[in-house]
Amino acid sequence: MRTEAIDPPGVAWLRVSPRYVTVRLVGWALGNLVAVAVLALPLILVLNGAWTWPPLWFAVAVPAAAFLLALWRLVLIPRQVRSIGYAEREDDLLIRRGIFFQRTLVVPYGRMQYVDIGAGPVERWLGLCTVKLHTASAGTSAEIPGLPAVEGARLREQLSARGEARLAGL
Amino acid sequence: MTATGDGWRRVHPASPFVRGWVALAALFFFFGRDAFERLLRGEPVFDERFAERAPWVLIGGSAVLLMIVLGYVLTWYFTRYQVGDGYVRVNTGFLFKQQRQARLDRVQAIDVVQPLLARIFGLAELRFDVADAGKAAVHLAYLRIGEAKELRATILAQAAGGAPGPAQPGEPGQPGQPAAAAALEAPEQAVLTVPPSRLAGSLVLSEQSVVIVLGAAASVLLSAVTENRGFYFYLIPAGLGLIAAYWKSFTKGYNFTAAVSPDGIRLRYGLLDTQAQTLPPGRIQALRVSQPPLWRIFGWYRIQVNVAGYGTEGSQGQASSRTTLLPVGTLPEVLGMLALVLPDPGTPDPVRVYTAGLNGFAPAAGSAGRAGASGGPAGSTTPDDGGFVTTPRRARLLAPLTWRRNGFTATDTALLIRSGRWWRHLVLVPHQRTQSMSLQQGPLARRFAVVDLVLHTTAGPVAPRLIQAGLDEGRALLDAQAARARTARQRQRSEHWLARAQHLEHAPTEGPQHA
Repeated sequence: MRTEAIDPPGVAWLRVSPRYVTVRLVGWALGNLVAVAVLALPLILVLNGAWTWPPLWFAVAVPAAAFLLALWRLVLIPRQVRSIGYAEREDDLLIRRGIFFQRTLVVPYGRMQYVDIGAGPVERWLGLCTVKLHTASAGTSAEIPGLPAVEGARLREQLSARGEARLAGL
Repeated sequence: MTATGDGWRRVHPASPFVRGWVALAALFFFFGRDAFERLLRGEPVFDERFAERAPWVLIGGSAVLLMIVLGYVLTWYFTRYQVGDGYVRVNTGFLFKQQRQARLDRVQAIDVVQPLLARIFGLAELRFDVADAGKAAVHLAYLRIGEAKELRATILAQAAGGAPGPAQPGEPGQPGQPAAAAALEAPEQAVLTVPPSRLAGSLVLSEQSVVIVLGAAASVLLSAVTENRGFYFYLIPAGLGLIAAYWKSFTKGYNFTAAVSPDGIRLRYGLLDTQAQTLPPGRIQALRVSQPPLWRIFGWYRIQVNVAGYGTEGSQGQASSRTTLLPVGTLPEVLGMLALVLPDPGTPDPVRVYTAGLNGFAPAAGSAGRAGASGGPAGSTTPDDGGFVTTPRRARLLAPLTWRRNGFTATDTALLIRSGRWWRHLVLVPHQRTQSMSLQQGPLARRFAVVDLVLHTTAGPVAPRLIQAGLDEGRALLDAQAARARTARQRQRSEHWLARAQHLEHAPTEGPQHA
């Protein structure tokens, strides 16, 4: 499918670290493999003869479908990670993400209430972190995952400084 | 009420009883019922078998009563508040102490609430929402009504950046005697009243009524078809619940009055429990005018607002009545309220723009904004449609009914988003209240080259979302809106609204003339 980006033209996007793919892979494995294993349980029971009810084709089809779906999402992960981008402009921060469901977010520095920096176990192992911006609105889910720790710290300082300079009330 | 040192004051001593009367009533009911029944039957108050146990029962009862009353007294004793120094501080709790302080210049809204019992005793609860005091509002319950009003005036005066109020630290207030420097109630001017008949009509014609009638018809039909009387029995509790719900809406919205004062918009409503809200100028984050299909018969509209601190209120019912700026109103009244909320509409002809936003359609020929890459109100729009840029014609399959309706326009001070053909909505977001924005596009929208623009605002009933704007228009709007919000923010820095430009102070009183 031809994809025309929805973000404003002429923005130089900074991309997140390619290592973030690993973080997503671990998350993927935890979620999807467990799901597939659970869905495959009836198949095992049917094959053992313990269960008679789900017909064999059905017992095969469900985990197979789940597996295919999981595979599909696995294939998408690198592209999804590549699609995450952020750009610091004069007065606001742009964050984009998504391939099929694209989203471009504009957060004015003056509207930032505080900046969070966090890292899960896998992220910490890889030396990555997630920077999260909060405004007065709960709808602003401004998150930049998979930043190298140094870049994350720099970004936080930068954002805080800019926010301080341009802070407005609610 | 009672003054202690350092300007700390206590709430009215009766307040725990007003708040906890249910517990006391239950206690008296429990112990008194038996004796009362005996009295009615002409028997002695205590029968013989009971007589020997009576002392124990009485001791137990009085102990419980004493504990409750002691608890009330302690709660009252340890609840103190202090106004001054740019802050309101409230201390509560004797086992688990809690101190809450709220910055006055961040006061988002202030309410005087009177439940029925408090009203009988002439008491009132003062409640205000402060954006930086965590999520919850600050409550002061209960004060004498006069005292509550005086305190409201003081808080608003300090929040407005005017003269300092009476309750400065170190200046103990005298009970029952207002301090000399008490801020006067700002004069106000009534704008509109919703007659009870119209309120009742609006409830009858509301969305829920349609659903109810359909549901009732379905159940009657079912019981007729299946010859099962059981369905009728389901109708009885359902009907009772409905009557209760309607009654609640009616008493909540009864005698709705809006007035303006330099302190902001004052809303008063309630039949048994009354509430008086004050919304300082410029505190409204987003606003929605909506019209359910049946209301179109009489040309009625409803206005709901997002105010920081309102949306996170506990119960849904309470939140919904507090976020309603106008429960039901006619077009001139809606325009009047819009003029109050947005004193400077930022367009030479606000009536035309608002009317187009409420009822307008793009001409059937095609998108008004096809070439409107500027995203501004000028563009290549037709004059009839108030400058609204609508969904491009190419996306008419995606939104066959609403493509001529979904649209946006921007004035110098606010962004207007309209949508819905049957349920008509007009959302208005002042530029200086824009928090952040995002453009979103799914696979289907990409085929039609349209995007959705979501404006993030504080929690509340209004979720501004521009649906299915053309790709170029959406992109341009994102940039233009960011720029507009920036300039609007730069224009307004101070939270002290009286300290701001003088014209803003006078604007509300000349507001209704826009209509």
